[in-house]
Amino acid sequence: MKNNERARLLDEIRAIEFMTIELNLYLDTHPDDQKALNDYNSYTKQLMALKDEYQRRYGPLSNFGTAVSEYPWAWINEPWPWELD
Amino acid sequence: MWIYEKKLEYPVRIKNPNPKMAKLIITQYGGPDGELAASLRYLSQRYIMPIPEAKALLTDIGTEE
Repeated sequence: MKNNERARLLDEIRAIEFMTIELNLYLDTHPDDQKALNDYNSYTKQLMALKDEYQRRYGPLSNFGTAVSEYPWAWINEPWPWELD
Repeated sequence: MWIYEKKLEYPVRIKNPNPKMAKLIITQYGGPDGELAASLRYLSQRYIMPIPEAKALLTDIGTEE
């Protein structure tokens, strides 16, 4: 089912993004940790690719010039995160 | 400037709606001692941080929260 695929992709984005958030916060106070930095860069590349794929299929995840939109303006499309998908 | 992302950091799937619990959680989110107030405090405290690590960390915690 189409919606399942969307939820699966979003879950994958969340999981990878969790890694980038935690590694980012760690690196703020450990900027010389080369291994953590390599991990951060690797997860960041994966995250960017997954977000590109998601946004191509399901519309923009963010606005103000960070993602293009199809016609008509797709940013207003539901669901918002607080609405059940 | 902050960029809003149209997704949750962690998925929420409510199986049993509970208005009492919902009220508690929304207060933790936007109330006087909630996450939103804390995040704005971090973003304001960062201006007096003396070292790059602390400026970055408070910016990032305030943003993430």
